[in-house]
Amino acid sequence: MQQTTQPVPAAQAAKPEPPAPPPEFQEGNIAHMDAAALIRILTDASSPEFQKAKACQRVGELGAKEAVPALASLLSNEHLSTYARYGLEPIADPSVDDTLRAGLTKLKGNLLIGVINSIGKRRDAEARPALAKMVYGADADVASAAVSALGNIGGVSSMKLLQAALTKTGGMTRMAVADAALVCAERLLAGGNRDQALALYASLSAADMPKPARLAAMSGIIREETSISRPR
Amino acid sequence: MTTRRQILKSALAPMIVHSVVLGQRAGAVAPSDRIVFGGIGIGSRGGYDLSKLLNFPQVRFVAVCDVRNERREQVKSIVDQKYGNHDCQMYDDQYALLARQDIDAVLIATGDRWHTPLAIIAAQHGKDVYCEKPCSMSMEETWALADAFRRYNRIYQAGCQRRNGANFELCKELLKSGALGKLETLYANIGPSVNWPPLPSRDWLGAEELPPKQVLDWERWLGPAPWRPYNSAYVRGDWRNFYDFHGGGILEWGSHTVDLCQWAAGFDDTQPVEYEPVGTNIGPYKVLCKYANGVKLVMRDDGWDGSLKTGSCSFRIEGDKGWVETGDATRIESSENIKPLLRPTEPASLAIVNHIEDLLRCIKTRQLPRASAAAAANTHIVCHAAFIAYQRGKKLTWDPENREFTNDDVANRMRSRALREPWRV
Repeated sequence: MQQTTQPVPAAQAAKPEPPAPPPEFQEGNIAHMDAAALIRILTDASSPEFQKAKACQRVGELGAKEAVPALASLLSNEHLSTYARYGLEPIADPSVDDTLRAGLTKLKGNLLIGVINSIGKRRDAEARPALAKMVYGADADVASAAVSALGNIGGVSSMKLLQAALTKTGGMTRMAVADAALVCAERLLAGGNRDQALALYASLSAADMPKPARLAAMSGIIREETSISRPR
Repeated sequence: MTTRRQILKSALAPMIVHSVVLGQRAGAVAPSDRIVFGGIGIGSRGGYDLSKLLNFPQVRFVAVCDVRNERREQVKSIVDQKYGNHDCQMYDDQYALLARQDIDAVLIATGDRWHTPLAIIAAQHGKDVYCEKPCSMSMEETWALADAFRRYNRIYQAGCQRRNGANFELCKELLKSGALGKLETLYANIGPSVNWPPLPSRDWLGAEELPPKQVLDWERWLGPAPWRPYNSAYVRGDWRNFYDFHGGGILEWGSHTVDLCQWAAGFDDTQPVEYEPVGTNIGPYKVLCKYANGVKLVMRDDGWDGSLKTGSCSFRIEGDKGWVETGDATRIESSENIKPLLRPTEPASLAIVNHIEDLLRCIKTRQLPRASAAAAANTHIVCHAAFIAYQRGKKLTWDPENREFTNDDVANRMRSRALREPWRV
């Protein structure tokens, strides 16, 4: 069959080259260094900011637990704290959790929120009491981060904290609590705590809950109650 | 055995041309049928999406949010001109736009670093979403995206519009009908490495003086990406090919062509289990992948138009009885035995119109659109796995069920990236 010939889109013109990175901002050999060399960059006070940033990323990918103290020292650096957490988050060693928990009492504002977010990602249950204290603090953004971390950590203890917070918070914090509670309910379901999960969904289904979360909770109940895979 | 008649019946449905495409306006739209949109980060690509969106009579676009004052005003001007009023509201804070109760859905066309966090925040605010691709910066973001849209029952359409392109659909139907025989190999053409290297740079550009915040809010522009000094080239579009902002050629174009392969093969619920990088960063390069059922997926740097000149974003399906290949040129190339089954299709350029219509229909019916968050998630996990394999320079094996590489700890640590505070997914 003869096909209709359509105009062929013009080949994309070669992109103009972006400006070249200056020598001081080129990763170069850092990409291939071993953990010991990367840690030397991180611990050398004279190392430029750029080199430390790259060393954080690479040492995290290597998973070098011996780099944890050096990475921890950068959590309070406004430019490098994300890089430090990039390095810390994937390292499978309890010293990372100790470090992040220590950061909860030392940092403020966005730097504190970053550490809370990393704790939530690592699901560090030992951080629960410290996070619980932040839920009703003056900084609403910190409170939102704390409840989000609690939701990620999950478990019945988090569920009780979030259930209480649903009735005691307002505005954006309450919206964050509701979102965290939805996540927590899913964690409970995954862990076999069906009754607690349904109780949390029921709390979220109250008429005064944020509408998106309320609808999501109702869907959660329906999904769970009508699941054909659930033993009856 | 499938007969030619059966194939024609299944694959050659009448072509429907939208009234929107023909420039016809439907009658007055009842307020209850109206879908109210806002937009975030509408630049060149987003402007293209917006131009198509505005042609649908049921759409009312009421608000734009951007970190750049110039962009906000450009979009407002376009929208106000379209509607003949001054009603489009401008925001520099996404939360202010998303808090509007009258907005049903948002078009997100920011840089890649913002795609997942913004889409999730939108879902938390009860909004449906059309989001440009690539949809995520990491595997972790990808899973979080799919989880959020499932959790909130929101509609998400990824900007993988070729799923609604007639020539691509015909190729899919030819495979499904059995005309191509047993599926053996899928080919996803990736943009040329000269423009889109597989390994983006981890360097920084030189520092320049920051513009006033009311002109450009650099902190918001960076958003979830790690801090780096300001350089105007990033803002002009050269953020691409920098690792902290971009997933290289594999994410940039695999999010289209790997997506076509996954969709056409009916693999929207799984991913390959092997990823073998071949080549260098200056190209040509490939990533050879294999699904658990033995089907091969080849991501290849085959030039912008593909070696058969089927146009950009082309893909190819090979079965044991025949093959087809098509792309943005609309023309379908095939083995001789398949040629009698081919037919003219509407231009591939209409895929975007169909794709938006698919979204609008699903917003009303609450059904899943073709490039749903779940489907996009599988595509993006494949692309991220290939990207990680290329960075690692070794063959990786992947366990889709447990979401982990089974032969490389470093690769597993690369499944996630820390987001700059205060952002999270």
